[in-house]
This record gives sequence, structure tokens and C-alpha cells, in this order.
Amino acid sequence: MHVGAVHAPDPEMALILAKEQFARRGRCVSLWVVPAEAIYASRAEEAEELFASALEKEYREPRGFRVAERVRRWMERHGQSLPEAE
Amino acid sequence: MASPFPKPNETVALPDPLREAVGQLLLAMADDEVLLGHRDSEWVGHAPILEADIAMASIAQDEIGHAVLWYSLLQELGWPDPDRMAYFRDPPEFRNATLVELPKGDWAFTIIRQFLFDFAEKVRLEALMASAWTPLAAAAAKVRREETYHLMHSRAWVLRLGDATEESHRRMQAALEQAWPHALGLFEPTPGEILRVEAGIQPPEAELRARWEAEVRPILEAASLRIPEAEPVYGGRLGRHTEHLAALLADFQGVARSGLGETW
Amino acid sequence: MLTYRIHGHTVPVPEQAPPPQEGPEYEARLAEFEARIARGEKIEPTDWMPEEYRRQLIRMISQHAHSEIVGMLPEGKWIPHAPTLRRKLILIAKVQDEGGHGQLLYRAAETLGITREEMVEALLAGKAKYSVVFNYPTPTWADVAAIGLLIDGAAVVNQLMLAQGSYGPYARAMKRICYEESFHIKQGYDAFVALATGTPAQRQMIQEAVNRWWYPALMLFGPPDRDSVHTPTLLRWRIKTKTNDELRQEFVDQYAPMVLRLGLTIPDPNLRYDPETGHWRFSEPDWDEFWRVIKGDGPCNAERMAARRRAHEEGRWVREALAAKAVQRINGGGDGRYAVAGL
Repeated sequence: MHVGAVHAPDPEMALILAKEQFARRGRCVSLWVVPAEAIYASRAEEAEELFASALEKEYREPRGFRVAERVRRWMERHGQSLPEAE
Repeated sequence: MASPFPKPNETVALPDPLREAVGQLLLAMADDEVLLGHRDSEWVGHAPILEADIAMASIAQDEIGHAVLWYSLLQELGWPDPDRMAYFRDPPEFRNATLVELPKGDWAFTIIRQFLFDFAEKVRLEALMASAWTPLAAAAAKVRREETYHLMHSRAWVLRLGDATEESHRRMQAALEQAWPHALGLFEPTPGEILRVEAGIQPPEAELRARWEAEVRPILEAASLRIPEAEPVYGGRLGRHTEHLAALLADFQGVARSGLGETW
Repeated sequence: MLTYRIHGHTVPVPEQAPPPQEGPEYEARLAEFEARIARGEKIEPTDWMPEEYRRQLIRMISQHAHSEIVGMLPEGKWIPHAPTLRRKLILIAKVQDEGGHGQLLYRAAETLGITREEMVEALLAGKAKYSVVFNYPTPTWADVAAIGLLIDGAAVVNQLMLAQGSYGPYARAMKRICYEESFHIKQGYDAFVALATGTPAQRQMIQEAVNRWWYPALMLFGPPDRDSVHTPTLLRWRIKTKTNDELRQEFVDQYAPMVLRLGLTIPDPNLRYDPETGHWRFSEPDWDEFWRVIKGDGPCNAERMAARRRAHEEGRWVREALAAKAVQRINGGGDGRYAVAGL
């Protein structure tokens, strides 16, 4: 679990920009943008494509291979307790 | 009569003249991607927002990665290796659409260009996923997965910048005026098209263009942008380029062609 | 521009004046604070801390963040010219990481009550410092390889130490950064070796780059201990856990052999291994030059700042557009505060 913050004008943009800042090396199943009043999460059906790089980017991994993790399906948009802040 | 296409686990060899025709398509696609990735990468360290810089760097890597994939397929069909293709050809040998060789411009131009290209790539890949030549279909499916993020990213930026302020609207409109005719050049038929269409490799470019317009027009309109009435800028698919390509390649190829070394 | 904050973290709003940094209550809190640090506990943003601790951290973390951002320029310059597709991809990824590190570090500094806008304004106004190393030019492709080995190597030595620090957000940012830096060094060394084992022209190019980057790498660790005014405080509060000179020695011990075993030379006539101590003896950098460069008089200070200012100015309309869009959306509901969590 990693947590962070991005400067962005709205939740969708935060997600789009955060995705590369926090999840470009994979190891991310779900990316949540948490506002005061709502949660904007990447859509379940896009998770597989958003977070599993289709083409090898081993060139940017220290061991030369991509961390192989299965991308799991998204949790529901509302009704999940928030992860602990870091 | 035996199918002209190898089964999925056979080698990728194709009989001529189909091999040559498929090669022309792959060449156009690879050249598009490598040059667009190069233009995108010129923003690294200079983008308007730090997070946008990081995102654009990923997009640049994706495009270059796609180019490597298409050049690699091309190599299996008998062309030289990807680095030789990217670094040791001269402007008339490139088959990219002129859209991707244009300078990066301001952020509006880069976003508009990326948007128009991303949706063109989407319709092309989706068509190629049904290609009768299975190695191409498989590669297209792989690349299509990465496009999801590109489409989200481009669409989000266009919808935000298109009508946010007077200045952003002005810049985005100017960018669209400049880019649109060149974007139409993405659908200029590449040599060998008739043969490829007959063999079920791809649908006609005119059909791809129609699908592309159906996708991009509503988004541009929702962003309050007016789509120009313009003639396409053709020539790229036949090796006729603007003066920008020579300048780009001088940068791109300078070290590799310096003679200082063979391997890096 | 809105900032999306970590859910559950409240960013401490600096009071108009900090509470008195003296007196019995302060002394009691300070004793407890120092006891926590001695126990190896992490200090978090909402914990009590002396103002001096906060100030030192803001200074250090923001300088570190600025260094990453400015550091994108000398190598980023070579992305368009990278001589193979693989090298191009690697370099884009590496410079991207530097931007990402800057982002993480700005965020860590923000937990102490400063905003990214304030930090960036200070940088662009020439009021904030950043690592001297990025004020040196990169005239050839080989400079990218030399930086990839020597500067990233020095950075890792420094960052591994910082990852043990007492301030939670900074230490955690450093851990993440260290992981990515291991990729940087691997690739830097790979490019370095490719040149060192290449044609005579390539060997000459990398040798000249080593000659340019060896002393800047030593400078990365900051002034010598005898001249480092901040070090005693930083050590006491475990913001740092080793001194500049200790880290400099670690770096030389690890990296001098890597360069020498490729048959290259290091521009230090006094460099030699001392079997009695098990360490390499070496010449200190020119500290006059160091102070001149850090004060703004290096070969590329003006160019780097001009590039950053230009990017900032040319991007202003974009930030304003996004802010205008945000206002259109928020429309009275919520306060525009968001956090990002990844699973």
C-alpha cells in the first residue's frame, strides 16, 4: 500500500496524473482519489489495462524484469474503509 | 488451396508480395510511433506541471515501445533491426504521417496532436486485432491495452483545456487548426493497401478515418472546439515530408551516426 | 491549483508565530522529543517538534526536491540524442524518476507546513539552493553515463543514510527513492561500461566525462564536516545519521575501484588505497569552487534557472486553465481537498 498526494484540479485528473507517479512500475491494483465527500476510483474494467503494462518495461526495473503481479478486480466504489494513511 | 497465412505457432514468414505490403504498413506504424514518442519526450523536464511531466514521459516511453514492437515484427519479415531502422535511414525513407514530425509546439499543440493520434491508433489497433495475419493481431491486442491510459489522458486534457479560459481555448483552437490537416494524413493509404485489404490484413484507410472522426468529433465539440474544414496533408506515407523531419532526425540520429561507436 | 491531501493527515497550519522555543514547558517537550528519537521512533507531521527541527527539515527536503527537478535538465538534454532505442527509453524513464522523486519530496516537505508553490517560487527567484552538481554542463553523451554511475552512486550512498532518518514522511520517501535509484545505477553502470569497453573514441569520451564528474560527485555530500554548520543539529535529531565526510569516504571506497578496474583514470593524483585503514585516500574537491557554485556562480546555474523559469512561465496558462476548470466543478461543494491512495 502506498499513499501520496498529487497537485491536480479535480479527481479525474488526479487519478490520471497520480497513476504514472505512483503506479508506473505496476504493483498497483487500485488507485483511489479520496476527496472530502466522494471517492473517485479507476473503473474495475479498466484496471487490468491501466495497471498491467502490456509491453515489457524491464528496462526500468533494477532486476531487469517487471514485478509480476496479477491485477485484481477493483473494490466497490463506495463502502470500503479507507486504507491507513502512511 | 493452402492458406497464405502461417498458423499461430508457425514462423512469421509471409509470401511476397504480401510480405512487402504488410511491411509497408508496419513501417508506417513504427515510424509514426517512434517520432511521436521522440516529440513527446522533448517535454521531459519542461512540462507545465510536475505530474504532467511524469505522465507525458510515460506516454513517450509507450510510443517508443510500440515502435520497437512494430520494428521487431518488421525485422521478422526481413527488414533490418529496429535501431538500424530508427537511426540509419534518411528523411525520404521514413513513412510517418507528417503530423508526428511537427515540433512539439506549446502544451496545447502536443495535447491536440496526442489526442488525434491516440484515437487514430485506437481505431487502427481495434481493426488490426481482427487481422487475418495472427502475429499482427496479437501485437495489436497487446498495444491496445496500453492505449486505454492514453485515451483517458488525452480526452481529459482536451475536455479541460478546450474551454477553460479564453487563452486555453484560443491555444487549443489554434492547435487544432494546425494539426487537423496533418492528422488526416494518418489515413493516407500506405503502398500495398489494396493487397492488404484483399488479404484481410486491415480494412481500408477510408474506413478507419470514418471511425476515427466518429470518435474525435464529439469530444472536440464537447470541448467547444471547432473542427476545421481542411484538405489533408498527404505525402508522409510516400516519404514526402516537411522540413521538420530533417531537423528532428539530425537530433535523433546525431550521436548514433557520429561514427564514434557501434554499440552503446 | 488544488492539492489533494492524504486522508487522515492534517497538514499543520503554521501559527502566526511559533510557540516560544524556550522555557520549562519547551524544555520538557524537547526532552521527550529527543528521547523518542533516541528510541528510534519516527516523528510524524502532527507530532510536537522544535521549530528548528521543522526549519531544518523544510530546508533539507526542499533543497533535495529542487535538486531532483533541476537534475532532470542536464540528462534530459540528451534524451533526443540517445543513440539506441533502448538507451532512449532508459533515459526517459530515469529522468522521469527524478521528476517523480521531486514530487515525493515536495510532498514530504508539504507535511511540514510549506506549500509546493512557495518552494517553487523560492527556487525560481534564486532564493533556494539545490545540489551544486547540477550546475555543471553535460557536453557529451558520455556525461550521461558518468552521471549515471558517479552522481547516482553518490546519491544512493546519501539516500540510504537518509532513509534511516527520524522524520517519517522523509524517511519513507527516501526508501521509495532508493528502490528506484538501484535501477538508475544499474543502467548507469551499463552505459558506462559500454563506453569504457567500446571504441577508442568512446573510451576517450567516457574518460573525459569522468574527469569532469568525479569532483562534483564528491561535492554532492556537501561541505566538509569542519565547515558544515548544520551537521551537529541534523545529527542530534537524526535527520542525518552520518556526516558528510563519512559518506564521502563511503562513496570513494565503493566507486573508485569500479572506475579504475575498467582501466580508466580518476583525476586525483593523491588517490590511493591504504591497506592499513582499508579505505581509499583522496583529495578533497575545490571548496572555493563549491561555495561559488552553490551561491549561483557555476557554469550552468543561469541556464538551469532560465530553463525552469521558462517552463514555469510557458506553462502558466495551463495551470490557470486547470484552476478555472476546478472552480467550475467545485461550485460550492466540498473544499477541493483530495488524497491519492494506491493499493
